[in-house]
Amino acid sequence: MSEPVIRMEKIVKTYYQGKPNELEILHGIDLVVNQGEFVSIVGESGSGKSTLMNIIGVLDRQTSGNYYLEGQDVNSMTDEVRSAVRNQRIGFVFQNFNLLPRANALKNVMVPLMYGQTRVKTQKERAMEMLAMVGMEERAMHRPNELSGGQKQRVAIARAMINDPAIILADEPTGALDSKTGHMVMDLFHKLHEEQGKTIVLITHSQELAAETQRIVTILDGEIVAERGGEH
Amino acid sequence: MFFENIKEAITSIFSNKMRSLLTMLGIIIGISSVIIITTIGGSIQSTLTATLNSMGGNTVSTYVEARYPENEEDWETWVYPTLEADDYVTQEMIDGLIEAYPDEVKGVAASSYLGSGQVKDVADSDNYANVNLNGVTPEMLEYMKLELYAGRNLTDADNVGQKKVCLIADTMAERYFNGENPIGEKLSVTTSDGNIFDLVVVGVYEYNQALFGKVDTSIPEKDRVTEMMIPIQTSFKLQGTEQTGYEYFNILLTPLADVEQATLDITAYFEEVYADNEDFHIYAYNMQSDMGMINTVINVITLAVSGIAAISLIVGGVGVMNIMLVSITERTREIGVRMALGAKRKTIRQQFVIEAIMLCLIGGTIGILLGIGIGALLGQVAGFVIQNMYSEYANYIIMEVHPSGMAITLSLFFSMLTGVFFGYYPANKAAKMEVIDALRYE
Repeated sequence: MSEPVIRMEKIVKTYYQGKPNELEILHGIDLVVNQGEFVSIVGESGSGKSTLMNIIGVLDRQTSGNYYLEGQDVNSMTDEVRSAVRNQRIGFVFQNFNLLPRANALKNVMVPLMYGQTRVKTQKERAMEMLAMVGMEERAMHRPNELSGGQKQRVAIARAMINDPAIILADEPTGALDSKTGHMVMDLFHKLHEEQGKTIVLITHSQELAAETQRIVTILDGEIVAERGGEH
Repeated sequence: MFFENIKEAITSIFSNKMRSLLTMLGIIIGISSVIIITTIGGSIQSTLTATLNSMGGNTVSTYVEARYPENEEDWETWVYPTLEADDYVTQEMIDGLIEAYPDEVKGVAASSYLGSGQVKDVADSDNYANVNLNGVTPEMLEYMKLELYAGRNLTDADNVGQKKVCLIADTMAERYFNGENPIGEKLSVTTSDGNIFDLVVVGVYEYNQALFGKVDTSIPEKDRVTEMMIPIQTSFKLQGTEQTGYEYFNILLTPLADVEQATLDITAYFEEVYADNEDFHIYAYNMQSDMGMINTVINVITLAVSGIAAISLIVGGVGVMNIMLVSITERTREIGVRMALGAKRKTIRQQFVIEAIMLCLIGGTIGILLGIGIGALLGQVAGFVIQNMYSEYANYIIMEVHPSGMAITLSLFFSMLTGVFFGYYPANKAAKMEVIDALRYE
């Protein structure tokens, strides 16, 4: 079998290390996500799922343990290389969209290309392609405040997809949406997973949403307490 | 990336127009003050230079001077020697000077007053014109900044041939010839001591108030005196003198000549030519040395006031820094998102430094334009006042109001520097944010 996309060994995350209020959030997480999987990480707030997501997304560093993203030891990388990894290998979808308010949809989708190596000439074409994929090509020139929540999230998904990342990391992507638009967004993830074979990691507190995915990893108090589906 | 950052910066500045404008105000005031002050200082300087030049700045005044005794005791027995015909400076000497320093010396403006006279119309006794007869070299017209209105100037050939030709003023020509073409007409001039000279008009020059004074309207038009110019050698001949050389004259320099150096060269040249003359030598001087001091004073004042104005640039810079700090706090989330999407720290730093630079550059540009505008306006006012106060010298006072290119370049450079200097700290603060903290910032 080929190298898994995510391989975590005994991941521990401690805040305020060495101080009286030292706090261990993750107590040795072991997690493997293979190419093409659609995994959900489920947990109540305070369970440590966001901390885990930050580490998976190379936004934060673990205190101990090993994390290999596509076989690469992420923790040993410099800040600059970690930026490049986020840019090229990870597509973020946030709960609150996190679009740049002053830029239109097209510009927002182009942001990761701007920080990458893509030639300027092809940037626009590629961004339009992505917008078309999420059905937003007609609203390309609209700014985020002119878009509905569902539309914003579709733009955010287009942005996450533009550098063809190894994983899509979605943090409560439907949290700010009503259930109907939430379903539309979920359908989009399913489409990306089924048609393009994308590896998707969905972080959510909703059991219902998690039930739609192939594999559910339940996290409680910083430990994985249950796994359902998948190869495990 | 760099280009994208500039676009981003402009978008950011324009999305907050009022705030940006207020932030730029310090820069605008600082830069425009510097531009106004340097414009005015420079204008005063160039006006003085141009005015003095028009009054002989680009010439060397030269005259034949007695050799004064070197010892105190010799003064008592010394008498001023008489100028003999061969003590004068001849045209040949001048030609030699031009040959020796072709890059500096252009010619000689010399004149010799022949006397006053009256042009009488044989056909019409009521028609006459009062004139002063002056023998001149052809360069005189250029030296006096007179424009030729019609015909031709006097020539070297006129001088060599002692031709009986003349230049007359346009005011005289118009009245005496009653609008008809005077070129080629013969004039009969009766001088105050009774001589009658017949002269052919070859050219007409334009009357110049600054040179000859305002037209005196209290005198009837036909009695007004104008200057008539004839070849200087003709004048010597008509005077019946043996003199063919010049005593007081001005040496015209080429436009690019260094006046100080030319004065030294001219002195040296004549020192050699007059080495054998026991009684006389040649003295040469210029107005440039007086101007040097005036220029120094103006420069010091301009520099000092500019320095004070530049302080407001620092105040403006602090304003920029302040607003950049606010802006970075406001945009913490945005910075977090950018970092999550792959922006490197140096990219974030660059983005905010560029934004600060753009803020200062736009402010600087507005300041420069404002400074140029106000400077030009003040220059116009100053010019208007001066022209009215000294209206008879109107043609001699050359107001040159133009902003200093050096000041503009320096202003742009310094406003950019202000941007870098005061933008770096906030930008660095942004770059040092932890992506996870920035992203979760509420």
